[in-house]
Amino acid sequence: MDFYSTLLILLLVIPALAALVVALVGSTQPLLVRQISLGTTVASLAVACVLAFGFLSTRTEMKERTFRPEFVPGATADAPHATTWNLIDFNMGRERSAKGGPKLGAIQFYVGLDGMNIWLVVLTTILMVASVLISWNAIKDEDRVHEFHAWLLLLGFALVGVFIAFDIILFYVFFELTLVPLFFMIGIWGGPERRYAARKFFIYTLAGSVITFLGLLAVVVVCYNKTGQHILTFSIPELVTIFNDLLTNDVANRTFYENFQFWVFLAMMAGFAIKVPLFPVHTWLPLAHVEAPTAGSVLLAGVLLKMGTYGFMRLCLPLAPDASISVGVPVIGTLSVVGIIYGALCAKSQDDIKKLVAYSSVSHLGFCTLGMFALNSTGLTGSLLQMINHGLSTGALFLLVGMIYERYHTRSIAEYGGLGSKLKIITFCMVFISLSSVGLPGLNGFVGEALVFFGMFETRMGLAILGTAGIILGAWYLISMLREVFFGALKEPHTEGHEVEDITPREIAALAPIMAVCLLLGVYPQPILDSVKPDVDVVANILKDRKAKMN
Amino acid sequence: MFSPEMCLWMIPFLPLLGSVIIVTLGRRMFPDRCHVPCIAGAIGACVCAVVVFVGVISETTPLRFGREIAWIQVGNFSANFSLRADGLTAVMLVMVTFIGSLIAIYSAGYMEVDESYPRFFAAVSAFLFFMTGLVLANNFVLLYACWEGVGLCSYLLIGFWYEKPSAAAAARKAFLVTRLGDIGLFIGILILWHNFGHSLEYDDIFVNVKAQYDAGVLDHNLLYWACICLFIGAAGKSAQFPLHVWLPDAMEGPSPVSALIHAATMVTAGVYLVARCTPLFGLAPDAQLLVACTGGFTALLAALIAVTQTDLKRVLAYSTLSQLGYMFLALGSGVVVGEHKLAGLAVTAAIFHLFTHAFFKALLFLAAGSVMHAMHDVIDMTKFGGLKKVLPITHWTFLCGAAALAGIPLLSGFWSKDEILATTYEAWHVSGGAASGIYCLLFFTALFTAGLTAFYTARAYFMTFHGDEKLPPEAGEHPHDATPIMAWPLMILAVGAVGVGIVLGPTHLFESVLEKKWITAQFAHLASPHSTNLLLMVTSSVVACIGVGIAYWLYVADPSAAASVASRMASIYDLSRSKFYFDEIYELAVVWPMNAFAFICRVVDQYVLDGLVDLFGQVPAVFGYLVRPVQNGLVQFYALLMALGLAGFLLSVLLR
Repeated sequence: MDFYSTLLILLLVIPALAALVVALVGSTQPLLVRQISLGTTVASLAVACVLAFGFLSTRTEMKERTFRPEFVPGATADAPHATTWNLIDFNMGRERSAKGGPKLGAIQFYVGLDGMNIWLVVLTTILMVASVLISWNAIKDEDRVHEFHAWLLLLGFALVGVFIAFDIILFYVFFELTLVPLFFMIGIWGGPERRYAARKFFIYTLAGSVITFLGLLAVVVVCYNKTGQHILTFSIPELVTIFNDLLTNDVANRTFYENFQFWVFLAMMAGFAIKVPLFPVHTWLPLAHVEAPTAGSVLLAGVLLKMGTYGFMRLCLPLAPDASISVGVPVIGTLSVVGIIYGALCAKSQDDIKKLVAYSSVSHLGFCTLGMFALNSTGLTGSLLQMINHGLSTGALFLLVGMIYERYHTRSIAEYGGLGSKLKIITFCMVFISLSSVGLPGLNGFVGEALVFFGMFETRMGLAILGTAGIILGAWYLISMLREVFFGALKEPHTEGHEVEDITPREIAALAPIMAVCLLLGVYPQPILDSVKPDVDVVANILKDRKAKMN
Repeated sequence: MFSPEMCLWMIPFLPLLGSVIIVTLGRRMFPDRCHVPCIAGAIGACVCAVVVFVGVISETTPLRFGREIAWIQVGNFSANFSLRADGLTAVMLVMVTFIGSLIAIYSAGYMEVDESYPRFFAAVSAFLFFMTGLVLANNFVLLYACWEGVGLCSYLLIGFWYEKPSAAAAARKAFLVTRLGDIGLFIGILILWHNFGHSLEYDDIFVNVKAQYDAGVLDHNLLYWACICLFIGAAGKSAQFPLHVWLPDAMEGPSPVSALIHAATMVTAGVYLVARCTPLFGLAPDAQLLVACTGGFTALLAALIAVTQTDLKRVLAYSTLSQLGYMFLALGSGVVVGEHKLAGLAVTAAIFHLFTHAFFKALLFLAAGSVMHAMHDVIDMTKFGGLKKVLPITHWTFLCGAAALAGIPLLSGFWSKDEILATTYEAWHVSGGAASGIYCLLFFTALFTAGLTAFYTARAYFMTFHGDEKLPPEAGEHPHDATPIMAWPLMILAVGAVGVGIVLGPTHLFESVLEKKWITAQFAHLASPHSTNLLLMVTSSVVACIGVGIAYWLYVADPSAAASVASRMASIYDLSRSKFYFDEIYELAVVWPMNAFAFICRVVDQYVLDGLVDLFGQVPAVFGYLVRPVQNGLVQFYALLMALGLAGFLLSVLLR
């Protein structure tokens, strides 16, 4: 096993092990618990960065029709992008049958990196560090600090797992595993309505993803039944190849595949659309965001929602291409535009600053799905970039809201005013991140938004034009919030006598990397754009081929 | 080593460097010397701009840089850091960096040294970076980026004193209203990119449009909409009706900012954009007509408001609106009818007015800033008067600027305004049908507005500097005139305000630069030679003098007359005084409905959508409630059910 594969394994092992250690350390040493968490998350970030640089340097141009993960642990020399690490082998205890018989595969521990997930992994590790830092003093109950951090690290483990999994079962396990830690984080350390919020979040998203799982299994079964040699596989790259070959070659069953794709699309949409969340299945999100502790909100908005958009891009588009074209573009495109506008309007009328940021997620994720269902490489790249952008800027917004809440213990916009003259650096960061969020050129948001619109304009001109309303509406609620909370005459909520300080070094350490990446992505995004190109083109080419066949 | 190509990227880079130095080092190491990097960056950029200008004049092709440096490149979308300087760019660059340098120097004297001192100069430097980038950009996305960048700097500088609620509100308003326009610009870019060759470079798009036009396959409807969208962006940035409401409020910013951003440079970006896209607008006569009408209407409207305002800076702000309106009127008059091709004439007139206006309006704002400085932030003209003796330098320099703005013959405003009138006059005579009538109307509107301009400028001048000496209590006993560091920029600009017109106008120097280095290269097919109209010059001089004369009569000769005239025209006076109620109309027609709609969305979300989810969540509970009686705990009941079940099963087996 080579260097990078080992690192990739470490990326999973570090947080899992850390969670275990932290849980075992127990309630007596909260400081040690925090230090372990910080140390391990920083280590994960370092590993992710090494992997990213390694990825940038080893990646070569490719002309393939399916995903090609790099650094796969358990890969052999003749199949460097597949793994031999089986979890459940269906050939167990049975001789592989002779030529022509069924080729039973296995549920595998199949993980790897490609252009589509590498930056999401890096994003996760950045936000994990920020989450640990922001929770330093926020968890008041010293006895349970170890529990909180154990759940947090477990969440980090699950999130990385979702993105790097290339086996459908593995993907699904990680996908659902994320719910558990977050359920406890919201339910135990959340706000006043935490139980209701946690339950709703858990059941709502679980209900959707179970249906998605059925859809995924259906694809596996159809691939098994319809191929001549009866290939049973759970590997996503293989499924993509097999299924698209079937679509192209099995002309006799054309109607069947059309109907089948339609249902598969609906099934996947059920889970992923709730996770994104798309309008109108987004109502779990504001509640969960508002009630969650800051670290929970950061990871929920920053990373967890991306599982939905990532799922669409990784599974839904290549495994139900015809339905994505015929149903996805009009339906999800429209819902995205509605979400952009509706989310922004809801955000504007909130009087709770955290709820405002929560609704801004609904609006921003609308850009993500809008770009994705442009179904061309411009839009897909924009969408992928927008996932990162939203993770950075909204993650940072939640960090900042958390910082202010920690100082004043209220989130009501009306109780604040003119904080700029008191908390100068926090205000600077808030303005910076807001500008990134409204898509100011030179910061990350613009690059993603521009690509989304240029991509969509090619596919559905009307939807793109309607979507541009988000450019002004996004500025409307954020700039208004800045004006209310940070500018004007100073108005502070009652603080019970303790002196309020500007940003602390610990908080700077949480925010500064995010802001630096925002600037970097805005000024010089090309290396990242180049690195995602081959994998985005896989999806774009599949869709292009299908589109050509449909006409 | 000082090649023009190198200077091309040095021009935006030097102010950027200045800004970065202030933010990173200056704030901590030399907080009270933060003007130095800013001024150095501006002057360095100015020197480079002159080198570029000379380069452009001497080379046959435009200077280019950086087309191969990718910024965003995905699929068929490609935006590069490509810069280009032709005649138009060179003129704009020299103007922006020269005026920027002077204003940076002036600000060093004007701004008080406090802890926000570095912030001011960092933002001004950043502004110069974006503004020079805007005129240098050779593709639409880079232009858009810089366009938003100058908007950001404007936002930060209007809200410079953010503790003041009015400043915070004005900053927000400026950002949002201009961004509304920016959507138009963005959609315009989308249309151009999608339909004219999937390129964003100016040259490619213009060549493609012309090729399609020549081949007769140009979709005129599409081009019309593209032009309208671009113009919406321009109207937002250049504060044209109906997006003009942000500019007067923007006067909440420090006076040097008003001079630099909200008079001389940023607000002219819209004019620059439309001028740059003449190859598009020249082929879309309907769009041109709209541009001309908007410009003419804004010019009149703003002038009507300006005549009754008492806040000196707001008078100047409305005057800026009005003058920008003139520039758009000129651009919109560049019609092409058969052999009469006015596009060349029109852009020359508009850019020339942009150029001279930058001098005299920057001067006026700086002089007004000097008044404000002496009066300790009092800017209401009714609270002071007769400052002629108290502030001699400010008085003389203001007079130069005012006279130039009023269009007094031989001063710079006179030459450029005359060219605009001539263009509109030509457009009236060469175009046919309804368009001819509209241009005729616009011509007389412009002439009338010229009179109004002279009137309100003279009024502001007389109210401030003539009459009995009157000082507000805030000013103290001995208000001081401009210090040398403020006086020098004022005097240099005064010389410019008086002289640039006569040096560059009648000698055709300005015209020939644009003509040879831009117009012939890019849209020779839309330009033809023209002659000077002497009669028009005389008419506009007379109109200007009448305006000044009335102001003299009302505010100097017979000060009581002003009030009686106002009371005789009470209804119009009130309309003008209250700025035609635009703010109130917007409040009622846009802001309030949007807020109400947002609130409705919030309620719907919380109660309807989420309510439905909760209702759905009750389904299992209801189902459970329905079947719960079955589990009643009675053994006999269970036995009965078992028996019935068994019987049913047996029956179904037997009867099968």
